[in-house]
Amino acid sequence: MNNLFEVSDVTLRFGGVVSLSNVSMHQKRGEILAVIGPNGAGKTSLFNSLTGVYQPQEGVITFTAKDKPSISIIGKKPFAVSDAGVARTFQASRMFNALTTFENVKIGAESHKGIGALGAMFRGPATRRDEHVSDERTWSLLEFVGLKDRANVIASSLSYGERRRLEIARGLATNPEVLLLDEPAAGTNPSEKNELTDLIRRVRDDMGVSILLIEHDMKLVMALAERLYVLNFGSVIAEGTPDEIRANQNVIDAYLGTASEVETDNA
Amino acid sequence: MKLLGAVFVLSELTAVITGPPGNPTHPWIGFHGSIVDQASFLGLFNIQRWIAFFIYGLIVSGAVYVFRTQKQFIAQVRTAQRSVTSNKSVKITTSIATITLVVLLPTLVADPFWQNAMVSQIAVYVLLALGLNVVVGFAGLLDLGFVAFYAVGAYATAWCTGALPLPALFGVHLNPFYAIPVAIILAMISGIILGIPTLRLRGDYLAIVTLGFGEIITLFANNLNGITGGAMGTAQVPHFSVHVGPVNYVWGIPPVPYYYLTIAFVGIFIVAFSLLEHSRVGRAWTAIREDEVAAESVGINPLKYKVMAFAIGAASAGFAGVMTAAQTNYVTPATFTLALSINILVLVIFGGMGSIIGVVFGAVVIQTITMYLIHNPPAGYQPQDLYIYIGALLVIMMIFRPAGMIPARRRSRTNASLDSSQG
Repeated sequence: MNNLFEVSDVTLRFGGVVSLSNVSMHQKRGEILAVIGPNGAGKTSLFNSLTGVYQPQEGVITFTAKDKPSISIIGKKPFAVSDAGVARTFQASRMFNALTTFENVKIGAESHKGIGALGAMFRGPATRRDEHVSDERTWSLLEFVGLKDRANVIASSLSYGERRRLEIARGLATNPEVLLLDEPAAGTNPSEKNELTDLIRRVRDDMGVSILLIEHDMKLVMALAERLYVLNFGSVIAEGTPDEIRANQNVIDAYLGTASEVETDNA
Repeated sequence: MKLLGAVFVLSELTAVITGPPGNPTHPWIGFHGSIVDQASFLGLFNIQRWIAFFIYGLIVSGAVYVFRTQKQFIAQVRTAQRSVTSNKSVKITTSIATITLVVLLPTLVADPFWQNAMVSQIAVYVLLALGLNVVVGFAGLLDLGFVAFYAVGAYATAWCTGALPLPALFGVHLNPFYAIPVAIILAMISGIILGIPTLRLRGDYLAIVTLGFGEIITLFANNLNGITGGAMGTAQVPHFSVHVGPVNYVWGIPPVPYYYLTIAFVGIFIVAFSLLEHSRVGRAWTAIREDEVAAESVGINPLKYKVMAFAIGAASAGFAGVMTAAQTNYVTPATFTLALSINILVLVIFGGMGSIIGVVFGAVVIQTITMYLIHNPPAGYQPQDLYIYIGALLVIMMIFRPAGMIPARRRSRTNASLDSSQG
């Protein structure tokens, strides 16, 4: 199967509030896919459902890693989803603030290896080899995102744009098939936005990692995405290429509102 | 002048609070005793209590004044300090000096009270604080029932050595040395048993459940007469001994041999825990403590690592149980109280959560103060006053060094919010 994600008829409720209703979508392998929509449309809920943070009540989400059988995401814990090859970043960047940039990324690089408290305590040759591999991987990723000179800085002192890049590096360190980016451009300035666009494209082209993107910045979305889904009030209202979406009347209505409709935020 | 008055009033209030209690026939005797009794001023000379407390008050307020006005100066001193302590040769010299001091300490301290206190009240508490530091400091889990693992270790020792009503574990009455692995393993197992169901909880909820666990263990020890000996406990735990070939040695009443034995194990635990802190496991603990949701998103199974922290922390408490049981020969439920759990937590918080050197320092300082107050009580000192002094110390520490006396390098200033990501 060539589809990475296959989402069919997913419904997610919180008590009486329907966050996602009958959402169906798919992502092809190697694709840069974007999900857009007004505030409260359910974009982040969709992300959380795809990564095991939320458990939708209805529907099926399957994920197919390369050369591996398809697995169902629903019912899996977030760390198991990460093991399967799905990495993500968060809307408000969530780093390990007490650790250095380097350690933040290294945690991603070594989390899928066995635990071995005793091995970790006594530093056998196998542990040392593992450490060495993780260190190398961490350095190359820091270089890739351009944070090599900030490696030994405590993560909480990084700038907004740097934090975004750190989160991307940490996600990539887990060796994923797909990287889910939740509003990576929020709070960055125009020049950082350009760098970010370039970085995201390089992640796909150089590392072969597919991208699923949530973004409000239309310039960035239209420059990057090959295909888009538009969510509004928890439902998919449009799907297509950037040009098709730009011309879609439903989308224009959702963003600008129609004369008869009052937009409400229910995030 | 106003400040001086305030200091005076506060100091004298403290003097009255910590003074001798009154009695129904002479209600004023407490006040009278609090004010004019002779008190030793830091053991140097004797003066009336009200003067002693006023001087203490002046010293504290002087320190506050200096701290308020000389912030810049203090910051300079701190950076100088930091550049000195980060120097490698200084570090090595300091550690060699510390080790020498620790080894030579029994020859310097001749008082049998202090020799005994160094083992049963300081070294053992260092072990307990090291263990709790793994749980509270590294993994960020508030455990208010830590004493339970200490109790498990002590009772396991009594069991192995055949001191309990229960038949001895291996049928023979073993030397406490063999009890060490049994006690550690049993403590770790109880950590895992407690951890698996409860570590899904966070923060306050976890604290309450662990508090309950500590109480359950004490109640079991108190009431299972046929197994634990009930409230009387047991007084027949033998001393450590070595009988290998020509070497025949029995640890006995003198505390010094026990001191060296305990210190050796303290060293082992310090090395093991600091290796752990700087390993993959330590980083995973920090990640969970900082942001559990993010940690899960990079593939860390929080439950697994939290249970591991409980088990590893329990190991050193279990070992502390072996030392206490063997050195004092008796094990009773009265030792394992909630107050002791909180006492251990105080050592960790005072020293600096997550900092191994810090908690060792905290345990040594607080336990030394406690022992000093018991050994050389100031006039009118009551045993229950202890927590007034320790509490005041904690308050002062919280004002000046909120992250502990020797803070951990790896601790963020801001608390990452624990709620899940919102859209």
